[in-house]
Amino acid sequence: MVWIAVAALLGGILYGLSGLQLAPVSLLTQNSQLVLYALMFLVGISVGLNKDVLRRIRSYQLRVLVIPAGVVAGSLAGGLVCSLITGLPVNQGTAIASGLGWYSLSGVMLTEMAGAHLGSITFLSNLLREILSFFSIPWVSRHLNFYTCIAPAGATSEDTTLPMMIRYTNEETVVLSVFNGVLCSALVPFLIRACYRFL
Amino acid sequence: MDVILVMLAGVLIGAKWFPERFKKQNETLQVVCTALLIFSMGVMLGQRENFLQELTVIGWQSLLFALVPAALSGVVVFLMTRRWKQDEEKKEEN
Repeated sequence: MVWIAVAALLGGILYGLSGLQLAPVSLLTQNSQLVLYALMFLVGISVGLNKDVLRRIRSYQLRVLVIPAGVVAGSLAGGLVCSLITGLPVNQGTAIASGLGWYSLSGVMLTEMAGAHLGSITFLSNLLREILSFFSIPWVSRHLNFYTCIAPAGATSEDTTLPMMIRYTNEETVVLSVFNGVLCSALVPFLIRACYRFL
Repeated sequence: MDVILVMLAGVLIGAKWFPERFKKQNETLQVVCTALLIFSMGVMLGQRENFLQELTVIGWQSLLFALVPAALSGVVVFLMTRRWKQDEEKKEEN
């Protein structure tokens, strides 16, 4: 998935730089919001289909909320620190970090809310977060604990980084990882809007 | 808000009516939609004036916004979960 994303991004940038104006591409860029709706609908179906995980998670009770809460708190704190370092306003810094690794949604949302510059920082940083978490899982599982592997993955812990979770942690962590991903994914749109508007 | 409503409609359909046998096709369509969104974002970026000059600034800022939130998330989750294993072992002993 990461390589498809990189190829799509590079392809788009090259097309944009070329100055070409093909009708299908113009139609796509003018209606990207509709594609986003379609994506959210399909992601919703995936969540709805996952009945077994939802059943198993109930047995963990309140403990299941600890990891997503830690992911959100750490990410927002990170956004705050980054905004101090880079000089970006706090609302923008925390909104970027609120993507929790979900680069497609957060990039598109912040492009629409704050323009292409902030949208591109959001996209790239969340894409880099996914790549970073993918490769950090083996080290974290060995030197810290299994639960901590879920943290850098953020919202991606239910899909792209899940194969690494399965390989390097245990079944319980994998279930918690899926739940964390579902919850973080649901929180991302709220967090981005809340941080951008109210901080 | 509209994005969440669309997602909730998907959850409802997935839980109640969506046939399990189309799960794979659903996942493939998600990849296609994601690629289209990213491509259109790339087009918008490439069409910006001075995009290549901006990229140097975007690059290091993006790396920072990837590293620090991911690292701090790890620290917070580690501090919150480091006793879980011990708690479970104590429960088993009792």
